[in-house]
Amino acid sequence: MATTSIAPEYAIDIKPDQIRQDLLRPIFQTSRRFYVLVFFLVAIGLPGIFLYANQMSEGMGVAGITRPIFWGIYIANFVFWIGISHAGTLISAILRLVNATWRRPVTRCAEAITVFALAIGAQYPIIHLGRSWLFFWLMPYPSERGIWPNFRSPLCWDFFAISTYLTGSTAFLLLPIIPDWAVVRDRASGFRKRIYTILALGWRGTPREWHRLEVAMRIMAVAILPVAISVHTIVSWDFAMAPVPMWHSTVFGPYFVAGAIFSGIAALIVAMGILRKALHLEEYLKPSHFSNLGKLLLVMSLLWVYFIFAERLTVWYGNQPAEMAAFWSIQRGRFAGLFWTMVSCNFLIPFPILAIKKLRTITGTMIASSTVVVGMWLERFLIVVPPLEHKYLPYEWGTYHPSVTEIGIAIGTLCGMILLYVLFAKLVPIISIWELKGGQHKKPFAEQALSAASRSGVHLDSTLPSTNS
Amino acid sequence: MNAIYGLFPDTNSARRALAALREESSRLRIKPGAIVLMSSEPLEEEGFGWEKQRTYMPWLTPLGALLGGAAGYALAAFTQRVYPLPTGGMPLIAMYPSGIIMYELTMFGAIFTTIVTLLISARLPFYGKRLYDPEVTNGKILVGVADPDRECSGEIGQHLQSEGAEQVREFSSE
Amino acid sequence: MAHRWAMVIDLDRCTGCETCMAACHAENNIATVDAKQAARGRAMHWIHVERYWEGEFPNVRARFQPVLCQQCDAAPCEPVCPTYAAYHNEDGLNAQVYNRCIGTRYCANACPYTARYFNWWNPVWDKPLQLQLNPDVSVREAGIMEKCTFCNQRIVATEIQAKAENREVQDGEVKPACVQSCPTTAMVFGDLDDPNSQVSRLARSMRATTLLSELGTNPKVIYLERESSHGND
Repeated sequence: MATTSIAPEYAIDIKPDQIRQDLLRPIFQTSRRFYVLVFFLVAIGLPGIFLYANQMSEGMGVAGITRPIFWGIYIANFVFWIGISHAGTLISAILRLVNATWRRPVTRCAEAITVFALAIGAQYPIIHLGRSWLFFWLMPYPSERGIWPNFRSPLCWDFFAISTYLTGSTAFLLLPIIPDWAVVRDRASGFRKRIYTILALGWRGTPREWHRLEVAMRIMAVAILPVAISVHTIVSWDFAMAPVPMWHSTVFGPYFVAGAIFSGIAALIVAMGILRKALHLEEYLKPSHFSNLGKLLLVMSLLWVYFIFAERLTVWYGNQPAEMAAFWSIQRGRFAGLFWTMVSCNFLIPFPILAIKKLRTITGTMIASSTVVVGMWLERFLIVVPPLEHKYLPYEWGTYHPSVTEIGIAIGTLCGMILLYVLFAKLVPIISIWELKGGQHKKPFAEQALSAASRSGVHLDSTLPSTNS
Repeated sequence: MNAIYGLFPDTNSARRALAALREESSRLRIKPGAIVLMSSEPLEEEGFGWEKQRTYMPWLTPLGALLGGAAGYALAAFTQRVYPLPTGGMPLIAMYPSGIIMYELTMFGAIFTTIVTLLISARLPFYGKRLYDPEVTNGKILVGVADPDRECSGEIGQHLQSEGAEQVREFSSE
Repeated sequence: MAHRWAMVIDLDRCTGCETCMAACHAENNIATVDAKQAARGRAMHWIHVERYWEGEFPNVRARFQPVLCQQCDAAPCEPVCPTYAAYHNEDGLNAQVYNRCIGTRYCANACPYTARYFNWWNPVWDKPLQLQLNPDVSVREAGIMEKCTFCNQRIVATEIQAKAENREVQDGEVKPACVQSCPTTAMVFGDLDDPNSQVSRLARSMRATTLLSELGTNPKVIYLERESSHGND
């Protein structure tokens, strides 16, 4: 049985009518800022699509990758976005499982990050293909060619892992939205009403519907956790399966998962901070939420330091020539600047901010999270590029510089991600209305009601009349 | 289908109305399972007596997971055999890689089964006309009786009214 | 009858003349790129001659080593391909099926020898050079991987010829372009399954070694180490 007592600092003392009004405002009122923002996102992001089209027609040569650095920032971006996608579902599932009541205003904006970051991240393995128009050959389907994908290839595992995770996290996001879409449906008119009527699936709020939804969400929270872990583990195996110095490492699985959760929480805090200001949710997303997530970020920051230390110590102590070439190029050579920026962004700057209670404010956690997002992108870059520059045979070494195409596509996908998120926040109440209200009931009342009900022997039949009768 | 229902402003009055309807159900000729409740939030902890709800979902999910895992193995084994191509000195059906495929499809089976079970057992989506009032999403609690006996429907309405319904309305799907 | 094709390269005989590279380009329709692209590392040479220096100045000598796809028995490039473009054929060669390749470039990362080449652009030949293309070898479009095939087209042609004449393929009958063109006969090609073939005999030499043997890839390109490298010549 869920406990509904709420510590005062999380208590949201707002009347239900006000909640509905506050959370539905973005759906029914469109500010000029919204159009301006969408315009700029499209304007900045659109060149990415043309650059990608150009890359398909001209060849991969327009990208900066070259021999032997066959993977560049496309793959770094892929890992980065898949990592960001670990924000939502994982955090939301954990908070749901331990019944942390303060999760209620946080879960949906977190889950939305998951779905969109995953959708964006999954584009990169396709964008980076030499012949992207044949990407569907990765999928197992009975084709006229008679051949199936190679299930021994980590890229095939990626396909299975990402599609499972995308299915699961989309359901995890959408199922609890159904009752909120019903709220919108009952208030909208015209075209909007027709859309939301379809989206609400005919939700009425009967005991049966609520019960099934809550059971399903409990099961999903359990099921989605191992999937999330497996997804980033398999992404790490894309690297660990190849005999490339500093890639071929057993620590990569947990290292990537920790990094993913780390960057995910950071992205979530940034998104929450912006939503709070943009949608006037000051009464819902309180300093305590930021402080709590900040503590979580602090733990992940320490975990990240632990993993990168373990990884680098093992390589350094092993002192194998091939690995040491990549190792020193990161630590002292061409990539030293990026390496120490990464360490600062992921640990030196956020650690004090998050560790000192006075600094763990909304602004503080926002600053720490922003540096972490940058630092974690650098981490992915440093995992992909320097080892490829320094493979076994020194005469095959090379250098890599991202090209305009790669950077343009990266910016394009960033804009795409923000655009999807903005549209989502516009079309869906970004905080779950019914879950927020559900968290408001005081426990004594519920207990009293329960005992009263059982005394009088009230029992309601669970089956409901259906209309087809 | 016809129905008569009341819209209640709070859980207390709705609960009282429910209790009254149940107590009087035989006199008011309310068919079993005809009492309808709708709310804008789950009332599981509010003592409405329907925490006794049952679903097979927690059993179907593992079943779906097992099916998914088996399908994963079958897929890996079948597809690699129909067009056998050795690579890197590995066996055609390699244990560890097939394990990954099985794992992912196991989880996919579980998730997919849960979603489908939810939709079917909650009878969603449904776009036809059926008993509903938009006031529910305004926070009102709907308590009503489906297909009430024509002679008793007036009395049911009075009951709802006297227990604190703000409005008593009738519904007809014709 | 299946073979196990292998190559032995005698480093004592290699003069670094790079004829093998030219022959390979001509035989296999390998696209050329301009100087700027080549400087960026996009030149494609299925076989290339690496030069390194031995000794201290002034007693310094140039040494050469031709490097090509090592046709590993346990090739790291093969299992990582999601579309089976890279696989192991029954002759033990690392086959690359161009039509199946979608250009993930994973195989190229996994190859410890960086022996795989990617078509960054569509190939172009200045007229009338397109007339000298080898009709037995397909031209590869942009976006796919390619690498040394041990001149598979020659292997297949010889096998067909032998079958037509109802005989076995003779030792030394198959000659990849690089082997055929080597002026010092530093390269020898043949069947490792035949214990009497020249390749088998040379592979049993005390000087036989493989590139990066510590990785356990079991290459089928066998180098005969320089005997003179320890001496003072």
